[in-house]
Amino acid sequence: MSKRIVVDPITRIEGHLRVEAEIKDGKIVDAFSSGTMVRGIELILKGRDPRDAWAFTERVCGVCTTVHALASVRSVENALGIIVPPNAEMIRNLMFCTQYMQDHVVHFYHLHALDWVDVVSALSADPAETSKIAQSISHWPKSSTGYFSDLKKRLLKFVESGQLGIFANGYWGHKAYKLPPEINLIGVAHYLEALEWQKEIVKIHTIFGGKNPHPNYLVGGVPCAININENNALNAERLAYVGKLLEDAKTFIEQVYIPDLMAIAPYYLQWGGIGGGLSNYLVYGDLPVNGYNNPDSFKFPRGIIMNRNLNEVIPLDATDASQIQEYISHSYYDYKGGADNGLHPWQGETNLNYTGPKPPYDSLNVEGKYSWLKTPRWKGNAMEVGPLSRMLVGFASGRDEYKEIVTWALKTLNVPVSALFSTLGRTAARGLETKLVSGWAMEFFNTLLSNIKNGDTRTFTKELWDPKTWPANAKGVGLTEAPRGALAHWIVIKDRLIDNYQMVVPSTWNASPRDGKGQRSAYEESLIGTPIEDPENPLEILRTIHSFDPCIACAVH
Amino acid sequence: MFIKFKLFNMKKYKHTSRNINLKEVYVWQLPVRFYHWVNVLCIIVLAITGYLIGNPLAIQSSAEASFSFWFGTVRFLHFSFAFLFFFNFVFRLYWGFVGNKYSRWYNYIPITKKQWQNIGTVLKVDIFQSIHKRMVDIGHNSLAAFTYFITFLAFVLQSLTGFGMYAAMSDSWFPKLFSWIVPVLGGDLLTRTVHHILMWVFILFGVIHIYLVFYHDYIERRGVTSSMIGGWKFIAEKTLQEVENEE
Amino acid sequence: MKEKHKTLYDEIREKGYSRREFMKFCGMMAAFMGLKTSGIAQIAEALETKSRIPVLWFHFQECTCCSESFIRSSHPIVADIILDKVSLDYTETLMAAAGHQAEKSLHDTMEKYHGNYIMMVEGSIPTENEAYCTIGGRSALQIVKEAAEGAKAIVAWGNCASAGCVQAAKPNPTGAKPVHEVIYGKPIINVQGCPPIAEVMAGVIVHVLTFDRIPQLDKLGRPKAFYSRRVHDTCYRRPNYDAGLFVESFDDENARKGYCLYKMGCRGPNTYNSCGVIKWNNGVSYPIQSGHPCIGCSEANFWDNGPFYQHLQTFPGFGVEKTADKVGIGLGVATGAGIVLHALSTNISKRREITTGNPEMEEEK
Ligand code: HEM
Ligand code: HEM
Ligand code: NFV
Ligand code: SF4
Ligand code: SF4
Ligand code: F3S
Ligand SMILES: [Mg+2]
Repeated sequence: MSKRIVVDPITRIEGHLRVEAEIKDGKIVDAFSSGTMVRGIELILKGRDPRDAWAFTERVCGVCTTVHALASVRSVENALGIIVPPNAEMIRNLMFCTQYMQDHVVHFYHLHALDWVDVVSALSADPAETSKIAQSISHWPKSSTGYFSDLKKRLLKFVESGQLGIFANGYWGHKAYKLPPEINLIGVAHYLEALEWQKEIVKIHTIFGGKNPHPNYLVGGVPCAININENNALNAERLAYVGKLLEDAKTFIEQVYIPDLMAIAPYYLQWGGIGGGLSNYLVYGDLPVNGYNNPDSFKFPRGIIMNRNLNEVIPLDATDASQIQEYISHSYYDYKGGADNGLHPWQGETNLNYTGPKPPYDSLNVEGKYSWLKTPRWKGNAMEVGPLSRMLVGFASGRDEYKEIVTWALKTLNVPVSALFSTLGRTAARGLETKLVSGWAMEFFNTLLSNIKNGDTRTFTKELWDPKTWPANAKGVGLTEAPRGALAHWIVIKDRLIDNYQMVVPSTWNASPRDGKGQRSAYEESLIGTPIEDPENPLEILRTIHSFDPCIACAVH
Repeated sequence: MFIKFKLFNMKKYKHTSRNINLKEVYVWQLPVRFYHWVNVLCIIVLAITGYLIGNPLAIQSSAEASFSFWFGTVRFLHFSFAFLFFFNFVFRLYWGFVGNKYSRWYNYIPITKKQWQNIGTVLKVDIFQSIHKRMVDIGHNSLAAFTYFITFLAFVLQSLTGFGMYAAMSDSWFPKLFSWIVPVLGGDLLTRTVHHILMWVFILFGVIHIYLVFYHDYIERRGVTSSMIGGWKFIAEKTLQEVENEE
Repeated sequence: MKEKHKTLYDEIREKGYSRREFMKFCGMMAAFMGLKTSGIAQIAEALETKSRIPVLWFHFQECTCCSESFIRSSHPIVADIILDKVSLDYTETLMAAAGHQAEKSLHDTMEKYHGNYIMMVEGSIPTENEAYCTIGGRSALQIVKEAAEGAKAIVAWGNCASAGCVQAAKPNPTGAKPVHEVIYGKPIINVQGCPPIAEVMAGVIVHVLTFDRIPQLDKLGRPKAFYSRRVHDTCYRRPNYDAGLFVESFDDENARKGYCLYKMGCRGPNTYNSCGVIKWNNGVSYPIQSGHPCIGCSEANFWDNGPFYQHLQTFPGFGVEKTADKVGIGLGVATGAGIVLHALSTNISKRREITTGNPEMEEEK
């Protein structure tokens, strides 16, 4: 007999996600992932000025804020044939890197860590021992015995108060927690420090885009002008500020995030064999060094890996109608041509059609439609997107940087390459790419500086700004790699207005319901076989689901 | 019934002066005339400055901002004339209760059957020109009065939206009286847009109005144009008697 | 009960802050709230003596960016104390528990502190079909009504909860509504912005904690302390505006000099917010300072006031490229043509009046 358990809400994610799992003999045998909130932003975009679209789509998500804005301006630029100046490209890259660093660190400490770190166990840590461990793994200065014993005292008082706030009703004491108290205490310390740190790094968005969350973008470039002799523009002071923030971020990532990751992982090597799920990986690639129209120059290379075959990277074409399609067999939508067809996003439709149970409900009808996410497929295949996919494609493309860091991690943890295809692999890949990104950010920054020194201060192309200069009809696609994976916006422009706008988002790929053929998408597939110690406290489900860093506002939009 | 093209018969009529007795009637008292021209001045200044506020000139200047205040001056003019415009209008409303019979409020609101009939007649005679008839109005005809009434409503709306926006920029009590208007409209931007659209209403009204004033002088020769300057109109004795008999 | 006697100040001291740091924090909050110096003492006293208030933070149709903005609050005490010490008993974004355990936390607080908890809402509520947003199988509407019933006050975070934001933009496919359109009879504070500025969010919370009542609101339910001035009135580019020095195109000479962005469609003159004063992310910059016009993100329906990059809105019913000026000029031309036609017709059909002064008398039909 199998037992159905429901986790709704899945917390410590962005958005409204519900997971239903069938458990048999202590293991998950089937799983259903459902997004339970819809806004219809694709419908709202119809009939609007394409130059405004970035602001609407940016509001799809405030956690990966900026990535939709970037995909959006690129889709319009692609449709109209606009090439942005090199400085704009570098500034966009810097905002991109900033987003990665902030998002991944917050995910690790504030959304994911409590799946591995037992806050209550930290109370029995020995501060001196903690300090010793901390100093052995990193040069990070906040690591004295005094620091940890103060923290422990505060934590104790907090727990004794009885009002645990966000820590109430956690899975504390669950058998699946394996860390020694000392490492748990380090985890708690860095949970708090990361909260402080993350608001610093985003100031790069504030400098270039005026605010964070939701900094400003611009079709044709970036809105901030450069003028070294002017108080009111991007000048030496502002640039130095960016440089310092990048340095500090790099230090934090190298001295806190990566060491913590590598200190926690050895206790959970078992998870290097759990949660692998799909075996196909898709990456659009991003971080152009030599222009967005030269994908070969991307720091994140584009490509596809099938069947975990790291010897071959297959090219992809997002404009080819036979490659990327969205299905709605199990999604609350209708297609004019029938619910079982797949549609390429340029022909895509968003017609809301709720057929689920009337709330309040206890269970979903998983035989029928059960989610607000559509189901994207590449040539009919379910694909995983995200940090793991990026590391694999980079690795398989033979890039040295990737080879070096992946090999280092595997060696340090003493695990085989196959351990990458797992919950642990996903979480580790996120950390490793953050380290790469923190280094690349410095390169982009230096390129920007040398451009300026050489007298190029352009940040915007004016030629095709005025709609009068546009063709009446056009279509385009904007591709990017959001922190959670491959993101693209497809736009169809008619009479200089948006006629159709479709977003296929990383979490749509990963969290979607199964397709008409019954193929599961990444979340559902990765849960199969996961051992569940105690169905009343399904901590293991959270671990694997969190390893994808779900964002359901993104996924549905 | 429709316009009759009798071009070839033009010669039938010789230019003559009217062979009837005309009487001078004092129609527009000084306050009405004064109000009218102050209002004309205000609207011209407000439309020009308002248009500039909405569409500032492109100046590529290397001067420091502190050396120049032209846009501030434009706005200052707009706000100064706004006050003049508003109180001038309030004064006219007052005069609608104390002035002579031609300027009284009831002329402007078409409530009687007679006024509606008159509107119909004016439409036929002057606008569509489908019938020919001697008009007997001394003050405004009912159609004109009705359009002025609509204009007055537009004045009110323009003042409300204007002072509504102004309320946030001012700490003095008077504009603050209008601070409710922005929330009612849901925000400043709609308020501003309504305000901007009304500018065009005034411009269009002004053009048609001036044309029609000239038209009436041309056709009726009762000194309508100058009546807003001197106050006097020339009315046929017969007409005067008809009107008096009616009253 | 032990926890009832514990004050915020106790918490702060326990967290290791000195009295001086504490007073500095109170001073900063007082300044943001526009209070006189006496306000500092008032805040300090309140935090020293009042016990913690449980907070339930809900997410409906939203992008979580208000939460993200909130954790960017510049002062450490804001993050530390307000965030995890104001007994944030329910917040899907950060809480450790999930599923049934999360719902238990919610219900425990709703029962134990009935009438005393603060409800915070991020996101709008769909009404076209309640099933457009469900959590734990219950609809947003059901949840919000149930939780509002026992709430002492409601804080509506951001444009979503205050005015519906992007999902309520035309055609509002899900019938998204702000809190104040589905809940009546409870004090609701609309903390506007997309998202609101972190310090504004903190300021509102501290105000509620300090004075045990909601701050003074404007007619749209926004706290006056933060939303009584237009961005334009506190904008550092204002002298350029008054001098008529405008950016004519992005990245032109004027843009590089930091001239006023009015002609790029800046909504600063129509937008009430504190961006020019408090700025963003601990005072680093704000949209205008970084070269982009204000898009009016703290105003209701700002999404439908577009297009963004022109000063004048599209004229309703005339297609997106038609502004009031274009329509006005069009009508002006039409009027001119009408006048010419009318004048011609007059000279023809009224020739008798014109020449003799007497109309051909016809009977009215
Ligand atoms: C016939 C009368 C008026 C006309 C034609 C007129 C026209 C205009 C126009 C076209 C604008 C620019 C709107 C835009 O930004 O697109 C404007 C702005 C404005 N008008 Fe008027 N207006 C008139 C009367 C008034 C009155 C009575 C007030 C009362 C105070 C007023 C106050 C304002 C204000 C406050 C602004 C906004 C200025 C700013 O934000 O800088 N206006 N007006
Ligand atoms: C050269 C320009 C103008 C001339 C010669 C002129 C002349 C006149 C005349 C003769 C009347 C009386 C009409 C009648 O007996 O029915 C009148 C009334 C009126 N005019 Fe004008 N006008 C001029 C411009 C304007 C403008 C620009 C406006 C405002 C937009 C305006 C607004 C009015 C109003 C509101 C009345 C009604 C006055 C009242 O009853 O208090 N006029 N005008
Ligand atoms: N999925 C997703 Fe996003 C990301 N990363 C967007 O494209 O989180 Ni809100
Ligand atoms: S108000 Fe804006 S920032 Fe806040 S949740 Fe809504 S869309 Fe996001
Ligand atoms: S940039 Fe915007 S807010 Fe600033 S002065 Fe110009 S119009 Fe006003
Ligand atoms: S867009 Fe929003 S952030 Fe401030 S400057 Fe304008 S209100
Ligand atoms: Mg989509």
